[in-house]
Amino acid sequence: MTDKQIDFTQSVSADGAVKLNSFTAEKSYDILVLGGGPAGLAAAVSAHESGAAVLLIERERKLGGILKQCVHDGFGLLRFKERLTGPEYAQREIERFIATEIPYVLESFVVDISHNADGNYTVCTQSAAGMKSYSCKAIILACGCRERTSRQVFIHGQRPAGIFSAGTAQYFVNIQGTMPTKRCVILGSGDIGLIMARRLTLEGASVAGVYEIKDMPAGLSRNISQCLNDFGVPLHLSTTVTEVFGTERVEAVAVEKVDERMNPIPGTREVIECDALILSVGLLPEIELANVLKIPIDPATKGPLVDQSLMTQAAGVFACGNVLHVNDLADWVSVSGETAGHGAAAYCRTPRAFSQSAVRLEYSKGDFLYALPQYLDPAASEPLTLFFRSRADVKGKTITLSLGGEKAAFSKKYRRLIPSEMEAVPVKALSFGDRAQYSIEMR
Amino acid sequence: MGGIATKKLSSLQNILTRKYPGVECSEFGDSIRLEGTLDDWETIVRCGKFAAKGGFRAVINDVKLKDFTAPPMRTPAVKDSALHGLTPDVLVIGGGVIGCSIARELSRWQLKVLLVDKEDDVAMHASSRNDGMIHPGIASHPGTLRGEYNVRGNAMYTQICKDLSVPFERWGNLILYREHRFGAAARFLFAYREKALGVPGKHLNRRQLEAVEPNITKEAVGAFEFPSSGILSPYKLTVALAENAVENGVQISLNTVVTGMDTEHGAITAVHTNRGTVRPRAVVNAAGCFCDSVADMAGDRFFSIHPRKGECCILDKDAGPLSQRSMGLIGLAAAFSASKGGGIMRTIDGNVLVGPDAYEQPLREDFSTHKDHMDMVMDKHLPLINGFNRGQVVAYFAGVRAPTYEEEFIIEGSARVQNLVHAAGIQSPGLASAPAIAEEIAKLTLGRLGGKILPNERFNPVRNASPVMSKLSLSQKQELITKNPEYGVVVCRCEGISKGEIRAAARSPLPATGLDAVKRRVRPGMGRCQGGFCSPLVAEILQEEGVETITKKGAGSELFVGNLGQEVRSDD
Ligand SMILES: Cc1cc2nc3c(=O)[nH]c(=O)nc-3n(C[C@H](O)[C@H](O)[C@H](O)COP(=O)(O)OP(=O)(O)OC[C@H]3O[C@@H](n4cnc5c(N)ncnc54)[C@H](O)[C@@H]3O)c2cc1C
Ligand SMILES: Cc1cc2nc3c(=O)[nH]c(=O)nc-3n(C[C@H](O)[C@H](O)[C@H](O)COP(=O)(O)OP(=O)(O)OC[C@H]3O[C@@H](n4cnc5c(N)ncnc54)[C@H](O)[C@@H]3O)c2cc1C
Repeated sequence: MTDKQIDFTQSVSADGAVKLNSFTAEKSYDILVLGGGPAGLAAAVSAHESGAAVLLIERERKLGGILKQCVHDGFGLLRFKERLTGPEYAQREIERFIATEIPYVLESFVVDISHNADGNYTVCTQSAAGMKSYSCKAIILACGCRERTSRQVFIHGQRPAGIFSAGTAQYFVNIQGTMPTKRCVILGSGDIGLIMARRLTLEGASVAGVYEIKDMPAGLSRNISQCLNDFGVPLHLSTTVTEVFGTERVEAVAVEKVDERMNPIPGTREVIECDALILSVGLLPEIELANVLKIPIDPATKGPLVDQSLMTQAAGVFACGNVLHVNDLADWVSVSGETAGHGAAAYCRTPRAFSQSAVRLEYSKGDFLYALPQYLDPAASEPLTLFFRSRADVKGKTITLSLGGEKAAFSKKYRRLIPSEMEAVPVKALSFGDRAQYSIEMR
Repeated sequence: MGGIATKKLSSLQNILTRKYPGVECSEFGDSIRLEGTLDDWETIVRCGKFAAKGGFRAVINDVKLKDFTAPPMRTPAVKDSALHGLTPDVLVIGGGVIGCSIARELSRWQLKVLLVDKEDDVAMHASSRNDGMIHPGIASHPGTLRGEYNVRGNAMYTQICKDLSVPFERWGNLILYREHRFGAAARFLFAYREKALGVPGKHLNRRQLEAVEPNITKEAVGAFEFPSSGILSPYKLTVALAENAVENGVQISLNTVVTGMDTEHGAITAVHTNRGTVRPRAVVNAAGCFCDSVADMAGDRFFSIHPRKGECCILDKDAGPLSQRSMGLIGLAAAFSASKGGGIMRTIDGNVLVGPDAYEQPLREDFSTHKDHMDMVMDKHLPLINGFNRGQVVAYFAGVRAPTYEEEFIIEGSARVQNLVHAAGIQSPGLASAPAIAEEIAKLTLGRLGGKILPNERFNPVRNASPVMSKLSLSQKQELITKNPEYGVVVCRCEGISKGEIRAAARSPLPATGLDAVKRRVRPGMGRCQGGFCSPLVAEILQEEGVETITKKGAGSELFVGNLGQEVRSDD
């Protein structure tokens, strides 16, 4: 799938020496999409449909991103109005992408990105074909997310084999066909952990329980019911794992109840025998490449700050999918890919800087975990989808989006809002007041 | 028993009876032996340290901790006769940095050398669980072995690391202080040591300190700088020493534990292992925390190890550029004490290491970490640099030092056993001292072997190191990938490590067979994701290289309990 190779290694510099010290330069493109998961695939297709010349770069052997290993169903209800498994969902997106004949490279790892004086970007990759560089007008970051590790949640004790993140366990079981445990404890009630509780039970392992430090689960309610309740796996809230035992392989873990400040309550310690500790303690956007470009990050989403077309504060660099914020459903990931794809194609036609007059989204940190896009350009006219998560489990609240006009741009009473479920607010037409404002409120 | 010795003994016993009721002392050869039972471990150690001042050769501390039985040494699961009947010239017990340095030193001679370690890889104990600091030598008193070997060892590292292709930098270290009063007092101490030990150093006032370390906080008012201080990866060094030793003819047998010895007429005649009985002409004791029990096996009991644990954490590479040199705050008492008080150091891979602390506890191979210790380490050192915070922690670990009660190295031929040489009590700065210790131990061993021993003409100090992508220039990368495309395929996304590098680790002279061993050689899994993404891929490559059962660190630490579809239901 690689395109014609212009071999820079042949070029001769002024002093007559063969210029070897360079990446092999490839053809240039309007847009490079970095990442071939659902976000990147959708972004590439919509950018292509908007007339841009696109190349997609993926570091793994196959397209599809994380969905390849999510063999459970529940994907695509919004996008395809069907219950699909992760690989099925990915397959549909891949087929659409392949049909467009957009070029792509696999097993190509982005090692560097630089912003050139002419405003273009150079993306350098490493692959079995060598070190290559591509130049482009715009970049779409679609690198997905990664899991938090045990070190980041401060579990102490010994370092035996048998401590896995839920995603790694999922890869072992679903991709490699190996079993990492006979009897495990799951720490954290993130969705992947819940899904793995069911998967491992189905494969004959016993799951002693899911332990969550907070007083409410982190995963979707439907996963609590379908993955734990239906299989008799107990969920223990306000409880955490404080120590791991075992020198070679995990032999047991200690769990303790915690108080409101999440400090262990003395006297509640219980030791549970198990051969594995599986962690599902959250996902973090993979912002390594954004960091290379020193793109400002939102501490709330842990992804880049973006405007309505998902452009980051680096002109021409867009972000979509889970690198932007961790979505609850792959369907929304695809939607954000499309937004970024259109936005990047428009940027290629008329390059622009991140608008000086863009208005920062205002919201109360007490009510919302986060909301995005964080900026809105009053000159923008395209429809907007605003995403937010509530900080607490609340009932009967009204969410109002105000753009400074007389009427609210959006207002809806929600039966219930919970942190684990992301909400999308569609705003069809933007109409700003005299003084542009951009804020959401929970009442 | 001579009159003076009796007097020493009875005066010691008098004080012990007063301060540590229930502890009895007796002479044991030239050493003093303590027996009895006490309630807490710290008192036992204090009692031992006190006895060390009694004027005997060394302290054997057999005082028991009430209601505690030390767990037996962990031993490998294998049992076979792979080594049975071997007759090496030298058997080195222990594959830490000390044992591996010694084996490589001995390979300069025409000798059959066998090195054994009970773990699945070299550097599984203290040698992979330390700060990687090549101390300048300023922390020890002149006239001590620890000071002397440290200074000599430090000087040798530039060449050794060049020969072994082990990244090494002399970024220097700073001993920071909080009060001007201390600065004035310590200036004399350091001036004296600098001169007596031959270690270059200079004083920095607050302004000069800010100029070299712009992110330093107001915690420090001044510092002493020692530019010869260096940093390296201790496990990469140990593996490289072992690989080069193998290249020069040394045999290394892992998963091999020494369980006993036969002696006759004051010489070791046979050494028993789980893989058969070996009959070496000479034995080197480099068994780290178990060096006292190895000495005991040979009937040369004269000292005790009191395991001193330390815990450290590692910060993300984001924090790396915030400080240039290793540094730690120090109070006057610490300037004179055995442990250096820990600090922060930029590691050779660009992370930041914070710690260690130092505390006495009875377990010799307990590498667990604890929240209270980690909190203490972080509270103590993170405030030194603006920009450090707990959110940057990506990993933490613990190691156990092997000090004697004399707090001194034992580098000598055995007084009782003709063909035994000790490299014992090698606590900090053992890493920094290793090359000098190895030189001396090789000399002592040759002496004990006797006869005429010819140099190994084929000895090559330069290790045939496999390429490290991140260290190559662009054109070198292009060239390497053209030759072997696997060097282009990135397996570890956090550290950018290629399939080619991982395969090379699995094919090295000392092949990596488990995930941790691969990690120690080429770092996949040491980055932000801690192996979440790459461990399945590394496992695949190991399988391609013929490793049947994938483990983290040898038998017992299997990653998988079976394959899908097999019966895996637990018995209960
Ligand atoms: C381990 C794990 C398990 C998950 N399991 C579930 C689940 O069971 N159910 C669920 O609904 N959601 C799950 N999720 C959430 C899931 O990530 C999203 O639902 C969705 O797949 C995100 O799509 P994406 O395109 O943003 O990211 P991804 O699907 O992760 O795709 C990102 C792609 O970018 C590539 N890439 C990244 N960086 C680079 C680079 N520098 N160069 C080249 N390519 C690069 C990656 O290889 C990857 O293919 C999981 C997430 C993780 C991390
Ligand atoms: C937290 C910490 C930080 C430190 N920081 C520094 C520093 O910055 N600079 C410095 O110079 N020093 C430092 N040190 C000290 C340094 O790590 C040690 O001095 C050094 O690693 C000792 O090496 P060794 O080979 O003697 O011991 P080890 O590495 O412990 O090796 C001993 C080996 O012997 C094996 N063994 C034991 N008994 C048997 C048996 N019966 N049969 C077979 N094999 C056996 C063990 O498996 C082990 O691998 C630090 C130590 C710690 C704990």
